Amino acid sequence: MPRFTTVALVAGAALLVRRAVRSRMTTAPLWPMPSLETPVSGYGRGATVPRRVLVTGRFVPAEGVVELRLEGERLPSWEPGAHIDVVLPSGRVRQYSLCGDPARADVYRIATRLVDEERGGRGGSREVHEQLHEGTEIEIRGPRNRFPLVDSPAYVFVAGGIGITPVLPMARAAEAAGADWRLVYCGRSRATMPYLAELLRLGGERSERGVPPAEGRGRVTVVAEDEDGLPDLSFLAQVPAETQVYCCGPDGLMDAVAAALPEGRTARLERFSAPAPADGTAFEVELRRSGRTVAVAADQSVLAAVREEVPGLMYSCAQGFCGTCRQTVLEGEVDHRDELLTDAERADSMLICVSRCAGRKLVLDL
Amino acid sequence: MSNTQPAPVASEHVELKARKVAFDWQETPLHWVPGDPFTTHTINVLHLLLPAGERWFVHVYQQALPYITDDRLREDVIGFIGQEAVHSQAHDDVLPHLRRQGLDPTPYTAQVDWFFEKLLGDRTLPPGRARRWWLMERVALIAAIEHYTAFLGDWVLNAEELDRRGADPMMMDLLRWHGAEEVEHRAVAFELFMHLDGGYRRRARTWALAFSALVFLWQRGVRFFMENDPSLLDPKVAWADFYRKGREGVLPSTPAMLRSIPRYLSRSYHPSQEGDTAQAVAYLASSPGANGGR
Repeated sequence: MPRFTTVALVAGAALLVRRAVRSRMTTAPLWPMPSLETPVSGYGRGATVPRRVLVTGRFVPAEGVVELRLEGERLPSWEPGAHIDVVLPSGRVRQYSLCGDPARADVYRIATRLVDEERGGRGGSREVHEQLHEGTEIEIRGPRNRFPLVDSPAYVFVAGGIGITPVLPMARAAEAAGADWRLVYCGRSRATMPYLAELLRLGGERSERGVPPAEGRGRVTVVAEDEDGLPDLSFLAQVPAETQVYCCGPDGLMDAVAAALPEGRTARLERFSAPAPADGTAFEVELRRSGRTVAVAADQSVLAAVREEVPGLMYSCAQGFCGTCRQTVLEGEVDHRDELLTDAERADSMLICVSRCAGRKLVLDL
Repeated sequence: MSNTQPAPVASEHVELKARKVAFDWQETPLHWVPGDPFTTHTINVLHLLLPAGERWFVHVYQQALPYITDDRLREDVIGFIGQEAVHSQAHDDVLPHLRRQGLDPTPYTAQVDWFFEKLLGDRTLPPGRARRWWLMERVALIAAIEHYTAFLGDWVLNAEELDRRGADPMMMDLLRWHGAEEVEHRAVAFELFMHLDGGYRRRARTWALAFSALVFLWQRGVRFFMENDPSLLDPKVAWADFYRKGREGVLPSTPAMLRSIPRYLSRSYHPSQEGDTAQAVAYLASSPGANGGR
């Protein structure tokens, strides 16, 4: 009966394996698969659900800055660093960091500085300042967080002007967690810097010129351009490895922070996203691999223009949410208008169905 | 056996297009099938597997596109890619909601991420035969998995027992929108596989692989959820529960699942023999989530 023996042996072996796996599973239920070190799923693009909220308060926390109190029912919870999309009355969509208390589920707070057209403003902040009054109902989406505060025993925050908005709840959270934090807050003049008083209450002003702060006090360095000139960021070269560095502000400030950090260290950055005029401008797209150049008209999408040359090009939703039409960008500055790509993805790619060129020419790997 | 070439039953072809969706999870309770954590978590496993899984579909299909010589199939595959990309995001949005309710899925999803991005990801293979083999193997795997997504999609569109038990309408809408699109595009993966390769041995082999992997991942997903659910004192899970819930109609029934196996392995199988496109399209037209969340 060799057959019977074989069956018995196989069954016995199977039972043994089963027992071994069972006992292994009870000690570590997620054995035996390895996991990805930086998980991708569940940290994605976040909510895109539109919500109506009511403007129930308008404050002026500093010269040229307006803070709006937005009230709604059961608003989603958020963490410091998060922003929302605000749909303005003209249909423009702008991103604003939340700067209120994350524990409140009925109120969001955002703040905007009026940027003149001569200074590169594109009309969004003007609309907020001139058209969003108490009682106005607006649509928001999100919140999303591309600038999350990670757990750390120590933080350095560098904020420039209105870039303080995501940093304010971060500083509050760091203080509440008992972390060792310091903030370098730059602005044109003290009168134009919002939330200065609150931050000084929270952390105390650091007397500069290298005097170390007393225990728990003196966390905030105020650098007003009219009194102090440009910020001295040289201390960043000695920041310990476990300290997290966060920066939000104009491009020049973020570049300065990146340059001041030791080789190999990076700061977490929140760029003021570059929103675009509602109507596009014409520009050129070079398709490097096929060696052709396509003109994109002001009222035409890159996708539509390129498809005339490359008929089989992939796309699906044509509205910037599915990601099918994503293309690698080799040169040129992109004006991202999609709702999908993360900052890292935006560094070298774009969704050509909605995004455009911020300059005169884009070079795509096509 | 040229006379048994699988073919669609009727001209049920619809143009495939990604739909923009909006689902708001604020008011969905942890046990969204009231009083039935086992059913809730068995279906919740979808949110663990699909974000990474459907991202992987898109990744593989983008590589398969250049090999397609049929224009209509190519258009279908592109529509399929768009729909899958949106599915992946929609399920991904549920994960932070679970985390807020005290059930952090990250330990499990990080493994699923590894499974699809590393184990089933692109390998450093020499261009040519080896690389094409690995691509075809994955295309065949997707065809087998899509057999089950279409099966589940058809099931959820008809799972009225869940409504009777007061399952959360937002979650039901997500599942039915997704299920309906799976039914709508159920033929694409199989047709792509038949177009590029079509070998029966590969089809049978990848089916066995996909089926075992799904069973393995699913059962441990349920165990993971039940063990980590902060509100459960007795997280025991048994196969008998699955069978019983299947009979009650809140989960797919075990006999129906077993019957679907020989169908896929039949040489005359074509996905259009299963499911109902008209029902799917009708649901999509009325789904609140697929019509801007209103």
